[in-house]
Amino acid sequence: MTAIALAVALIVAGVLFGRRAALLYRLIRMGKPVARFDDLPARAQAEAVVVVGQSKLLQRLGPGLMHAAIFWGFIVLFPTIFIAMIGVVDEHATLPWLGRQGWYALLVDIFAFFVLAGVVAAFAIRKLQRPRRFAGSHVLEADVILLLIAGIVVSLFVWHASRIALGLNEYPAAWAPISNLVAQALPQSWAPYLERAAVWTHVLIILSFLVYLPYSKHLHIFLAAVNVFFGRTRARGRLEPINLEAPDDEVRYGAATSADMTWKQMVDTMSCTECGRCQDVCPAFNTGKELSPKLLIMALRDQLLADGPKALAARGGAAGLPPLVPTAVTDNVVWDCVTCGACQQECPVGIEHIDHIIDLRRNLVMVESRFPVEAAPMLRDIDRASNPWGKPQADRAHWADGLGVHVLQPGEEPPDVLFWVGCAPAYDERARKGAISTAKLLKEAGVDFAILGPRESCTGDPARRMGDEYTFQQQARQNVGTLNSSGVKRIVTTCPHCFNTLSNEYPDFGGRYEVVHHTAFLAELMREGKLKPLAADKAITYHDSCYLARHNDVIAEPRELVAAAGRPVEMARSGKRTFCCGAGGARMWMEESRGRAINQERVREAAATGAQTLAVACPFCTVMLDDGVRETGANLKVVDLATLLSEAVERRKAWDARASGPDE
Amino acid sequence: MPLVLVEQTGGTPSDPSLQTLTLARSFGGPVHALVIGQAVDLSQHGVAATHVAVHDGLDSFAPDAWAAILGQLSDRLSANAIFAAGTDRGNDVMARVAARMGLPLATNCISVASGDQIHLTRQRWGGSLLEEARMRSPRPLITVAPHTVVIETASAETKVEKFTPQLKEQELAVRVAERVSTKGGGVSLAEAKVVVSGGRGVGSKEGFAIIEELAGLLGGAVGCSRVVTSAGWRPHSDQVGQTGTKIAPELYIVCGISGATQHMAGCKGAKRILAINSDAEAPIMLNADYAVVGDLKEIVPAISAEIRAARAAHAPLPNPLPGGERG
Amino acid sequence: MRVLVCVKRVPFTGGKMVLAADSMALETRHLGFTISPHEECGVEEAVRLIEANGGESVVLTLGPPEAIEQLRDAMALGIDRAIHLQTDGAEWDPEASASAILDAIRAEEETYGPFDLVFFGNESADSGGFQVGLRVAQALGRPAVTGLKGVKVAGGSAHCEQEVDGGRDVYIVPMPAVLTVKEGLNLPRYPSVPGRMRAGRKPVATSTPTRPPARLEMLRLVVPPGQGRRAEVLGSGPSAAPAVVEMMRKIGVA
Repeated sequence: MTAIALAVALIVAGVLFGRRAALLYRLIRMGKPVARFDDLPARAQAEAVVVVGQSKLLQRLGPGLMHAAIFWGFIVLFPTIFIAMIGVVDEHATLPWLGRQGWYALLVDIFAFFVLAGVVAAFAIRKLQRPRRFAGSHVLEADVILLLIAGIVVSLFVWHASRIALGLNEYPAAWAPISNLVAQALPQSWAPYLERAAVWTHVLIILSFLVYLPYSKHLHIFLAAVNVFFGRTRARGRLEPINLEAPDDEVRYGAATSADMTWKQMVDTMSCTECGRCQDVCPAFNTGKELSPKLLIMALRDQLLADGPKALAARGGAAGLPPLVPTAVTDNVVWDCVTCGACQQECPVGIEHIDHIIDLRRNLVMVESRFPVEAAPMLRDIDRASNPWGKPQADRAHWADGLGVHVLQPGEEPPDVLFWVGCAPAYDERARKGAISTAKLLKEAGVDFAILGPRESCTGDPARRMGDEYTFQQQARQNVGTLNSSGVKRIVTTCPHCFNTLSNEYPDFGGRYEVVHHTAFLAELMREGKLKPLAADKAITYHDSCYLARHNDVIAEPRELVAAAGRPVEMARSGKRTFCCGAGGARMWMEESRGRAINQERVREAAATGAQTLAVACPFCTVMLDDGVRETGANLKVVDLATLLSEAVERRKAWDARASGPDE
Repeated sequence: MPLVLVEQTGGTPSDPSLQTLTLARSFGGPVHALVIGQAVDLSQHGVAATHVAVHDGLDSFAPDAWAAILGQLSDRLSANAIFAAGTDRGNDVMARVAARMGLPLATNCISVASGDQIHLTRQRWGGSLLEEARMRSPRPLITVAPHTVVIETASAETKVEKFTPQLKEQELAVRVAERVSTKGGGVSLAEAKVVVSGGRGVGSKEGFAIIEELAGLLGGAVGCSRVVTSAGWRPHSDQVGQTGTKIAPELYIVCGISGATQHMAGCKGAKRILAINSDAEAPIMLNADYAVVGDLKEIVPAISAEIRAARAAHAPLPNPLPGGERG
Repeated sequence: MRVLVCVKRVPFTGGKMVLAADSMALETRHLGFTISPHEECGVEEAVRLIEANGGESVVLTLGPPEAIEQLRDAMALGIDRAIHLQTDGAEWDPEASASAILDAIRAEEETYGPFDLVFFGNESADSGGFQVGLRVAQALGRPAVTGLKGVKVAGGSAHCEQEVDGGRDVYIVPMPAVLTVKEGLNLPRYPSVPGRMRAGRKPVATSTPTRPPARLEMLRLVVPPGQGRRAEVLGSGPSAAPAVVEMMRKIGVA
């Protein structure tokens, strides 16, 4: 009888779950292709560290431990699902071997307790602490899920306790201390009824949970592991190129509708647990803009699922689906993003938010021509003048006048190192200083280097981050042609955006070079003794650029330069947790008309350290933070690390020159 | 003898037309002038005869009619050259003369020398580049770039002769049907004695408030660069440049504009230029008379404040006169 | 409706004029090229008119082989097809340009019918002759209006607005007509990539007209004097304000 009842329950649950799971699976199968099947060892490592090791979650210790408790608990408790189902049918039977192991019973007791403790902690966080990151999440759904989890472990404890009370335990009761304790408190006459009630409750909650899973955000327990596995393993700053040469109807210009998403993007949206860690660190959200990475992914998920049946029925043909922008996501949300990657850094389930934003932008810019009008001159200028300011290419080497820097001519032997200057230092008087100091230091250290001058044109990064892949690829091909024909092998650049594009994105276009950021290069020269600095006794706080620290892991080397120039003082949000200056995602060329200014926010944080020198390693950060200092009146000087090092080297020389003096 | 088309408003000849007369006189021979609609006094400008064309159909501007009259008169006088100012109207009319008479036309010249072949220097790129050229023509057609020739007076016994030209209906077909006034009034950019322009450095549409404030205090007009128009911050009618409005103020204050040639082409006529820019090496610095280096967002309001303070403290100064001194 | 727009390939200059060694042209080694600014607005207007009224738009250029780029750019905005009058890169004077364009228009109209509107730029950014459009109009015997900032088509006529001091002059001319336009007529759209792809496949009719001898002949180019002025720095930052106002009082402006 009970076996039949269980079988019916299993079949019903199985069918309900199966149908929904099949829909989701078929949707994902219909997703556009993306190559994520390479580099298997790194993927396996990511699984181990991020999923099993819960590394991203543990970045916030309290909630991290809470979730780890529940997660690890569930891994340990997994076999108990089958033990319970066997127990439903025959109270005397259990899983062969494992069901009789005392050590397993002990583990179950301990981890079930952890899960319960985790649930209590979760409720404490949600109801007492009430973090802002849950704003916009489906909190009721979360509460229900937590209650179901609690139900599962409580019913498990009650079942074990009542089995012990009935003497049905297959292992010495002492091995299950908690269940044993509960067993002592149980009235003996209730035991048989409790035993049946608890095991059925346990199984039914699990089965209902199973059915509920693919309709709720708890789906992440299946998909998160998948999503993490298929995330980027290297070159995090690299965007996927579009094959513009493909036949017209096959080219995918980003995402216009949910059917245009790649399968990875679909899994992204389905993995979201609405935890809001991304929202918490987003510079746009935290300065009053519309964009919340969490709400973005949730909106895309909801639209994908709403469109699903129609899209599947059309079998890849035109389905008349609504446009994602503005149906699911407003235009403002798409343009608020600075592509800093803080969201991706925090996300425990490996969602790659930037891909979504960029794909939405690609469609808006390349197909609909609908984007902030103030960015249009920048795109046209990159196309026609080869730099985003429309300034003359012929003037590109003027910043280096009088420095004795060699401009590499076509046909000449390539130097050891090519100094790729970038558009900002070439044309902006504030950004220029870093390049000048770098050139001076390279000469000081006797490095064999040259610049391309007028033959260097914009890497195309701003165009690519705007979503104008067409203009970007034009620039990429042009620059790769110039670089390859010059025979250059090693490139040093002061701009992290150039660094990211040259290093991570140009290989897709036939350009493979060893690219080093100027801070790393100068640090190496320092270590080799070719640059000898003398630190001053002044506090310097260093602002990590997003494209250096987060996208490319360049964190330690700039700090070597800070230490060589003065006394380092760290901001709270530093290294991989750095807070953007506001220029990324081509926002340097867009107006910030809503909310507070991101750059001013960062300047306030820097000023709060008490340091009066704000060190930077990026021309965009230089301009944005300098603007921020002027706008807030902060007592800070924004200086590039190369300039600080250059001053330190001069200081050392002056010191050495006086070294023989007795009063030093 | 050269024939010069003189534009006038309410009986006053325009400055560019007077500049043209100065240049035409150097071409040699007695200079004759053609004015449409109303007589003007050109006795101080070395004109031998002023021909005034009066016709019912000419109460509003009709370019083909003007071209027909100019052509006919040049035939009647056997003019050896026809000149006009290189204004929108001047170039329009002269191009039609050239087309009707099948003759070459050199526009926006800054110097002309007569001879078997006419040697001339004319403007390209709105004046940022010059072209030396020669013209073979029985009757050279020349327009003179505004604000490049200094007006020189010369006394003469000017005969004034009114006449009614023969005009075909077809020649009056293209005519101004009505004039629509631009709303708001305010100071016209092309005529303003002071213009304050903002460029990319202003940062946003709202950022122009400080520019408007300074312009208002000086009784001037607000201009902008092409980037600003393309970014949608200000209407194209505010754009100063080769493809925008050409201005000739007493003082042109340029804020946050780097000084690209196409912008400079729009302000060649400015008497003095003050550049406010954070970049001491910007091209504008090579084209300006005065400069202040720094952040315009701080400097412009400071100048406005200083003007207010100076006005409050000192005896009130005369406001800038709308007409102003010529020359 | 049938609309023709004529464009010219010009360099996209920046800070200063640099001449080639022979002083007969600009040094274009590091310069990009574009459709002359007034004409870009003409292209956009043509596309909008056909979008609103149906019909066909054509773009024409007299220029070197590389000018095909500008034709493709125009077609990427939506122009249907192109006519390329190919030159060897040498400069054509305004009379010769007008004559070649006229021949092409006559040939085109003979085969496909008259154009309701032919757009030209008011003047080209580089040579600035101000006359090619008007010469073509005269030869075709069609009414012409210049320097337009507004164009509306209604009932067989073109309502045209020309910006003048203090307002706008309105002309109403019957079509077929020739209109020369100025930047500010509209804000040209940013081309879509599918549009660019389609443009690559739209038809271009190429011919090589012969250049007649010029009656207005360029001898050489000269960079005007006056560059190399160095501004007198009145100060830096807001503390320069008194010096500025002092200067303004001296010149009688403040």
